[in-house]
Amino acid sequence: MGKNKKKKSHLPLRMNILFFVIFLLFASLILQLGVVQILYGEDAQEEINRTENTTIHTPVPRGKMFDRYGRVIVDNEPLYSITYTPPKGVQPMDRLALAEDLAEFISMGDEEELKKIVRERDLKEYFYLLNEEEVRERVSQEETEDLSGGEEYQLMLDRITEEEIDSIPFEKYQLIAIKKELDQASALAPHIIKNEDITIEEYASVAEHLNQLPGINVTSDWNRKYPYEGTFRNYIGSITNAEQGIPRANQDYYLSLDYSRNDRVGKSGLEEKYESILRGSKEKIRYETDKRNNIVNTEVVREGSRGDDLVLSIDIELQQQVDEIVKKRLKEEIARQPYKNRFLEDAMVVMMDPNTGEVLAVSGMYYNRDRESGEPEVVDHSYKAIQAQHLPGSTVKGATVLMALQEGVMKPGETIYDRTLRIKGTKDKSSYRNLGPVSDVTALQKSSNVYMFLAGIRIGGDTYIPNEPLGFKSGTYEKFLYYFNQFGLGVSTGIDMPSEAVGVVGQNPGPGTQIDLLIGQYNSYTTMQLAQYVSTIANDGYRVRPHLVKEIREPSNDTEQLGPVRENINTTVLNRIEMDQEYIDRVKLGFQYVFQKQGGTAYGSYNDVDYSPAGKTGTAENIVVEEGINGEKELIDTENLTMVGYAPHDNPEVAFSVVVPNVGKGVSSSINKDITKDILDAYFELKKERSEKGIEDVNENLNEEEAEVSDNYEE
Amino acid sequence: MTFEERFDWRLFFIMLALFTISCVAIYSAIQTNQYSDNYVLRQIMWYILGSFIIAGMMMIEPIQYKGLSWYVYGAGMLVLLALVVAPASIAPVINGQKSWFLLPGIGSIQPSEFMKIFTILVLSRVIVNHNKENQFKTTKTDFVLLMKIMGVTFAPIMLIMQQPDFGTALVYLGIMSGLIIVAGVTWKLILPIYGLIGAVGGTVFYLVIQAPDVLRKYLGIQEYQFGRIYAWLEPYKYQSGEGYHLIKSLQAIGSGMLTGKGFGGGEVYIPESHTDFIFSVIGEEFGFVGACLVILVFFLLIYHLIQLAIRANYSYSAYVCVGVVSMITFHVFQNIGMTVQLLPITGIPLPFISYGGSSLLANLMAIGLAFAVHYHQREFMFGDNNLQD
Repeated sequence: MGKNKKKKSHLPLRMNILFFVIFLLFASLILQLGVVQILYGEDAQEEINRTENTTIHTPVPRGKMFDRYGRVIVDNEPLYSITYTPPKGVQPMDRLALAEDLAEFISMGDEEELKKIVRERDLKEYFYLLNEEEVRERVSQEETEDLSGGEEYQLMLDRITEEEIDSIPFEKYQLIAIKKELDQASALAPHIIKNEDITIEEYASVAEHLNQLPGINVTSDWNRKYPYEGTFRNYIGSITNAEQGIPRANQDYYLSLDYSRNDRVGKSGLEEKYESILRGSKEKIRYETDKRNNIVNTEVVREGSRGDDLVLSIDIELQQQVDEIVKKRLKEEIARQPYKNRFLEDAMVVMMDPNTGEVLAVSGMYYNRDRESGEPEVVDHSYKAIQAQHLPGSTVKGATVLMALQEGVMKPGETIYDRTLRIKGTKDKSSYRNLGPVSDVTALQKSSNVYMFLAGIRIGGDTYIPNEPLGFKSGTYEKFLYYFNQFGLGVSTGIDMPSEAVGVVGQNPGPGTQIDLLIGQYNSYTTMQLAQYVSTIANDGYRVRPHLVKEIREPSNDTEQLGPVRENINTTVLNRIEMDQEYIDRVKLGFQYVFQKQGGTAYGSYNDVDYSPAGKTGTAENIVVEEGINGEKELIDTENLTMVGYAPHDNPEVAFSVVVPNVGKGVSSSINKDITKDILDAYFELKKERSEKGIEDVNENLNEEEAEVSDNYEE
Repeated sequence: MTFEERFDWRLFFIMLALFTISCVAIYSAIQTNQYSDNYVLRQIMWYILGSFIIAGMMMIEPIQYKGLSWYVYGAGMLVLLALVVAPASIAPVINGQKSWFLLPGIGSIQPSEFMKIFTILVLSRVIVNHNKENQFKTTKTDFVLLMKIMGVTFAPIMLIMQQPDFGTALVYLGIMSGLIIVAGVTWKLILPIYGLIGAVGGTVFYLVIQAPDVLRKYLGIQEYQFGRIYAWLEPYKYQSGEGYHLIKSLQAIGSGMLTGKGFGGGEVYIPESHTDFIFSVIGEEFGFVGACLVILVFFLLIYHLIQLAIRANYSYSAYVCVGVVSMITFHVFQNIGMTVQLLPITGIPLPFISYGGSSLLANLMAIGLAFAVHYHQREFMFGDNNLQD
């Protein structure tokens, strides 16, 4: 007992302390309960009432895309589905009743399909539902004693005979197939009853009778459809699917714009660039539900509308022809000299209206040498026209001559003597042959390098003395870049795509290399940059922003008709080059001689055409590294064959640039000239055809407006 | 003395009240449930089974429990260990936890629930023996006692964290904390230790909320592991998972207001409302009044058990009672606390009321111990510490 006494000395006190702590804990529970139930009780009730109002956003179709003449390039294809979202505690008999109702509106398949869908077990379950009492009696108490509910059910199904199953008439298979789908749905989660091959009639009749069909809903979604298949797809871009939803990286941005996580958004090309226009506004419907999740009221909070349509500047017919031309010429050139042309794999073309910047066609073909899995021989890589950067060669000489004239180091008509320049510290510099006396115009016509070098040396503040090194005053290279930038060479063209390359610009080279820039042998540019450059010369010095989208139009209900214009994408002049009109005219004359005068580098092929082209050829030396079988590296000379120009020379309506990198050296290829001839022929042939027959598939309205718009720009 | 005198009638009536509350609440809960099983009937079955167990346990004297304690504790440890290594066929992973043995014909049992009782038995024995051997207490002997208590408690906790079942592991800490207070350990040790635990806990909690980067950087703990804490503090921001549960629970209890919506009047659907969130159903349908009544019944139970402990003339019985009190208190406080946003959500049922086989049986076994203490309290009418009824 003595021990107990000791224990008792601390136990009761400690227990009372423990009890006091427990009391405090319980008191805090009651306090918090009071806060939750009495202080905020009303709020909670309001919240319940509120959250039982569910707002549903129904997706609307994206805007379509049309070519400049109203032909559909990107369309939508509806995808319908009928879903079932069971409320809580729904009984098998309820589902059977629902299936009976649904069977009036939809079909789960024809006779053969139904026989495949409806299995023996489905028939037994159906029979059991109709004859529950009777089937139950077939199983005795003793048998089910140790069985779980599921096992008991299985046992009862087993007792249903073949004859009984066969007694179910075939007409009932429809509803059994529907019930089978309904049974698979779990509470409060939408389950798709049917989504493939839903006819418009089925969709509409179910939609009309939704209030009789508890838990049933109809939804529609859309897939992109491309009537011209792969054509121009690089620029059209793509959208995410519902599983990918909005891009994770920009999740907050999209969510802030009322997107849902599973919304499909543009992820590349025009789909991405014009996402905000194409997306439309979702229909917002508020469903008021009672606590059993039955819809008691629906209210359209906001009418949805389809996304606006884009009318592109592209002429899809021209685009197709240009693609074909580039593809054909590339294949031919490689077939002609397969070994020497082993580095030739790309050819790119841009055609645009030099006055407005509207891109008419943009093509890029890639020759696929590594074809193991049956891939095509030539693949559309047209994105390279704005992404791939290549040495442009002599095509940039127009910019050089304009710079020289503007700087006053060369006078219009002033002649220099084209001969090999020997500069200490660099390789000898000359034109492709010694051209003798050349002026600003003939230097372009005959493609004199020496004229450009001498102009550069003069701008650099130096004088050419044979066998002496060059010394430029500081800022010369920056001056070169400054002038080139005015034409868009080395800066962004501003095209309406999510991204573009801006060219490779070297840092602070020596004078001997600086003047290589002036013949297109130092910095690299994209095909689009070259097109912008030549357009700038073609339209008398205004650098316009190339663009692929011409108009934004409101959606139209009539599939044949375009909706009204919401916005015209106007011509944007980015800058006016500094050069005087008189100098620009000299360069244009030089460009005209290239094509139209004996001795011009592109003279000869255009005698039989009436569209009077002008422009400039280019050949850039480009070194490619070839890796041998044993890993040794060899430098191989190749040539970038290029061409820029416009037509007609006195009133340009189309400008173009052609870049074919890495043609074999010494194969005497004319692929740049051939492509140029073909695409100009195609353009003017189409124009002629249209003036005679009109445009195929063309919307009349659009035609008129088109004409008006063009007139405006002519001024 | 007659059976009528030895039987603990008060405890019996308190248990009867809890049983009634349980049946009513579960009945209500399954009305909005996705399950078709009748959990009320099953709960009644469990209670009947539990009554037999209690009757059996009542016949065993506390001194015998003391003698058996290490054996059942050892057996319990072996079972927990077996659970760690058992194949998925008999110990399936359910909701990411490997806490159950699947016994064919019987169903699933959760060993960690029963281990709580065994731990109480051993802890009580350790304390009694230690105090017997160290009649002259010093800080040093108290420290040794503290180490013993922790050793006995942390052994099963380690195994339970393997499952992992954080909630149940916490219950063990609750039991331990209660027993440390009454074991007679000097305040010189208790206060600094509890203070230290509080400080560490507070710091971690602060870091979780204010500077999760620090935890990630120095402790390698990922933010999502604190998901339940974020969900607790800002349920509307973390609406999936635990945040959703909490929102629903608060809506249900809150909208019950003062007097509730009446039996069967629940509107808010709460997943698993018949188990861990049974209190939300009570709060919604019977309001503040009903919820307080339930808390009051628990308080009466605890008051009764404390009285039993104070009056026990065999110190082992007193400690066992305190262990049971600590366990029930922890369960009740944690469970109700999480439904009213006082505490983060953990998977701990409300004792005697939530549906659940293992947990209910284990709790009833704990009550069986209390019945036994009362039943074998032969001289309590004449004890020197008798508080008059």
